[in-house]
Amino acid sequence: MKQTNKLLSVVLLTAGLAALTGCVETAGTVVTTDHTTGSTLVLEDSTRLKDQIQVLSVNYDEVNGLKRVHITLQSAKHRRLRLNYRISWFDANGMEIDPDTKTYRNLLVEGRDTVTVTGVANSAAGVKSKLRVRGLEAAD
Amino acid sequence: MKYGMFAMTGVAAAAMMMGGCASTPEVREVALDRAPITSKLEPQDVRRTVEKMTESLLSAPGVREAVGGTRPVLDVEPLKNRTTQHVDMVSVTDSLRMQLLRSGMFRFVDKSTSGTDIEFMDAQANLGLTDQKKAIKPGQQSAAQMYLTGALTEIKNQVGRTVDQYYKFSMTLKDLRTGELVWADEQEIRKESVKPRMGF
Repeated sequence: MKQTNKLLSVVLLTAGLAALTGCVETAGTVVTTDHTTGSTLVLEDSTRLKDQIQVLSVNYDEVNGLKRVHITLQSAKHRRLRLNYRISWFDANGMEIDPDTKTYRNLLVEGRDTVTVTGVANSAAGVKSKLRVRGLEAAD
Repeated sequence: MKYGMFAMTGVAAAAMMMGGCASTPEVREVALDRAPITSKLEPQDVRRTVEKMTESLLSAPGVREAVGGTRPVLDVEPLKNRTTQHVDMVSVTDSLRMQLLRSGMFRFVDKSTSGTDIEFMDAQANLGLTDQKKAIKPGQQSAAQMYLTGALTEIKNQVGRTVDQYYKFSMTLKDLRTGELVWADEQEIRKESVKPRMGF
């Protein structure tokens, strides 16, 4: 009886581990900036990513009639972080502008370092930016 | 004897289950920006390059000076492929043109379709099907004021089981009248793949 229980617990543990490896968290940190009002909203949906990287500052300006955003991120870890980020743009009505043209880019952050990511609006109509940061494992 | 038969049947059934009975591959749709699967140039690398180049060109101060409030006519030359890989450079050029066109900063002409333009005009003038007052006559097209060109290069190194691959996209925007380079930028991509100790 004791041996059967032991065997059952090993089987359950193995099954649990196998199920866990199949689950990849794709939620991350989202920074939304309204360039007309200057308001910024930071949403940290992943507790794991929140412990790894933090949003330090958000700045914005305009170049050649196009809005530009600079977001500074700081690593809270001592090891190198491998992340993905994407900056998408929205018009005054909240419609996303050409979503397919904005891709996830790689981001390597050294231990305890800060990096600034920059995005330029793909059209003069872009007035709101959204940065999305996710772990590299979230990519298929 | 009976026990042996049962065991053999069980092993055979398990092997069949593990091997899979279906012969059709499992197909699923994946994100456009998927994780790299080879050290070669992949679609997500091209997409990132096109996005980076477009952003760089649209926000460069030199471009603003050259454009000066007008919408200059631009042509995009297919990028030169100086790598050992087959990469559809025309497709890269098309993506770049599409993104720049959507920005509204430039007007575009396409030299590569000039032959088709001539065919249309020739048909309109000679087939007798088109009202000659409405037929498009040659010699009225806009002239390219600037052109975009570039190249893709690679450096490959292999040490033992590790393959280190480096790619560089470089692009320039040239003013045809002055001959000046208005903008230049490059995108570097470096990938590493390690072959497994076992296997083929």
